[in-house]
Amino acid sequence: MSKGPSRIAEFIKKALFIDFVKGLSITLKYNVSRSITLKYPDEEKWVPDRRFRGQHTLNKDENGRELCVACELCAKVCPTKCITVIPMEDDTGRGIADRVAKVWKVELARCMFCGYCEDACPTRAVRLGRDYELACLDLSCTTREKDELLKPQSIPETIQGGFVVRSKFERTPEGIRVVPDLRMQKKRNI
Amino acid sequence: MPDLATLLEILIIVVKVSVISGILFSLPLPLTWIERKVAGHIQVRLGPWRVGPHGVLQPFADMVKLLIKEDIVPDRADKFLFKLAPLLSMIPAFLVFVAIPFGEKFAIPFVGKEITLYLSDMNVGILYILAIGGLGIYGMILGGWASNSKYSLLGGLRSSAQMISYEISMSFAAIGVVMLTNSLNLLEMVRSQSGSFLDWNIFYLPVGPVWFVIFIIAALAEINRIPFDLPEDEGTLAAGFHTEYSGMRFSFFMLAEYVAMVTISVLTVIMFFGGWNPPLDISIFHLVPSIFWFLGKVILFIYFFMWLRFTLPRYRYDQLMTIGWKVLIPLSLVNILVTGLMII
Ligand code: SF4
Ligand code: SF4
Repeated sequence: MSKGPSRIAEFIKKALFIDFVKGLSITLKYNVSRSITLKYPDEEKWVPDRRFRGQHTLNKDENGRELCVACELCAKVCPTKCITVIPMEDDTGRGIADRVAKVWKVELARCMFCGYCEDACPTRAVRLGRDYELACLDLSCTTREKDELLKPQSIPETIQGGFVVRSKFERTPEGIRVVPDLRMQKKRNI
Repeated sequence: MPDLATLLEILIIVVKVSVISGILFSLPLPLTWIERKVAGHIQVRLGPWRVGPHGVLQPFADMVKLLIKEDIVPDRADKFLFKLAPLLSMIPAFLVFVAIPFGEKFAIPFVGKEITLYLSDMNVGILYILAIGGLGIYGMILGGWASNSKYSLLGGLRSSAQMISYEISMSFAAIGVVMLTNSLNLLEMVRSQSGSFLDWNIFYLPVGPVWFVIFIIAALAEINRIPFDLPEDEGTLAAGFHTEYSGMRFSFFMLAEYVAMVTISVLTVIMFFGGWNPPLDISIFHLVPSIFWFLGKVILFIYFFMWLRFTLPRYRYDQLMTIGWKVLIPLSLVNILVTGLMII
């Protein structure tokens, strides 16, 4: 008995294509909505938030000394064992202590960007930066050595991130690069 | 020696035929672009973007790609039928346009000669279109069979079953319209709907909308568009009957499909939406040439089909058959009865 009216309602719903019209109206709305696809890389590029975990970077302190004391904690804690640290004695003032890393390299092909290494680091030397264009043609380039990691990040810490900026495509002798226009030309948030 | 008037007539017909076939052959170019754009925007992405402004040249790139692609004929396929099948599905799709009127008459300025905007004023136009349109199944079955592949064969069989089932309800819907307009002639059909939009067949209450729904569902199944595109159900059948086709031969099937979509839009407009009659019988609307009203409506319907495609999921095969045999055909029969009672 109680099922009667609902069945009739169901039938009317079907006969008048109510659900169908609802579906159509939703897709129509999407049709005029803004697309979320970026015109990457030659027109737009996403600048990640500061919390983003991209390629590693090794920091220096304000006097330009290396913060890493080669304690190997990051190598120990790393779940995929992709960091190699070999310490050495050096009292020339290159690092903040006499112990600095002779070798500090990370295998990005194995890294899963969990961020445990930066958590474990006692001196805040290693940080996961904001570079995410890591693709290359062979596996040799997936290893990042210390010299490379010590270079300043391509996106400065001062920039908040989390938005899309204009960018352009540049051919350099080393390969093709995407150059973001970081003068805070905020195109849109995503 | 034929006189000048006859020669002129022949010339006009030749020009009309070449214009229509030219348009039909180049149809996939704008339609694929629009379809991909509509798909992109409905799915909150951009669609083609790189080739030309907003990707308008993308179809040309695709065309070049299809033309220079390797043309593969499977090893133990029936070579003759395999090559014949795409033509068999394309030619009927084109032949249909012999009977389709695009407008009444058009006066060429300065010459004082009127040309008709149709190739032939067929008395049994609608019958001809349904009959010839149905021939396209041959291409699908033969293509599926000749490929010597299980997927293609199943796809071909599926499509034949589907098309035969839905041909029935589509013809019933056509019968309904014939009953309402008292003629099998497409020109007459449009003439009988002249006036404001309330004179259109779709507003012939209560049966008009029902005929329209039956027709549109059956037609969607007939031209294999989502939600009824079971012949090329990639989840279960790879690409269905044209799995083994590549390059130009594949694009013939695609061409046939797009032309069929246009045919159905044109038919819907002629049968239910007053053809080239403007929506209101006021003089401003009559200033616009009737062909624009016609094309406008057709374009709206083409858009509607694309919109539908990216809204609905595909039906299961048994659901498709259930809808065809248990819903559409009984509904058409009842509707014929009601229509008959109404026009007595
Ligand atoms: S992010 Fe995780 S996986 Fe990658 S190096 Fe650091 S600890 Fe290892
Ligand atoms: S990066 Fe940090 S954790 Fe790793 S070796 Fe250097 S100081 Fe230790």
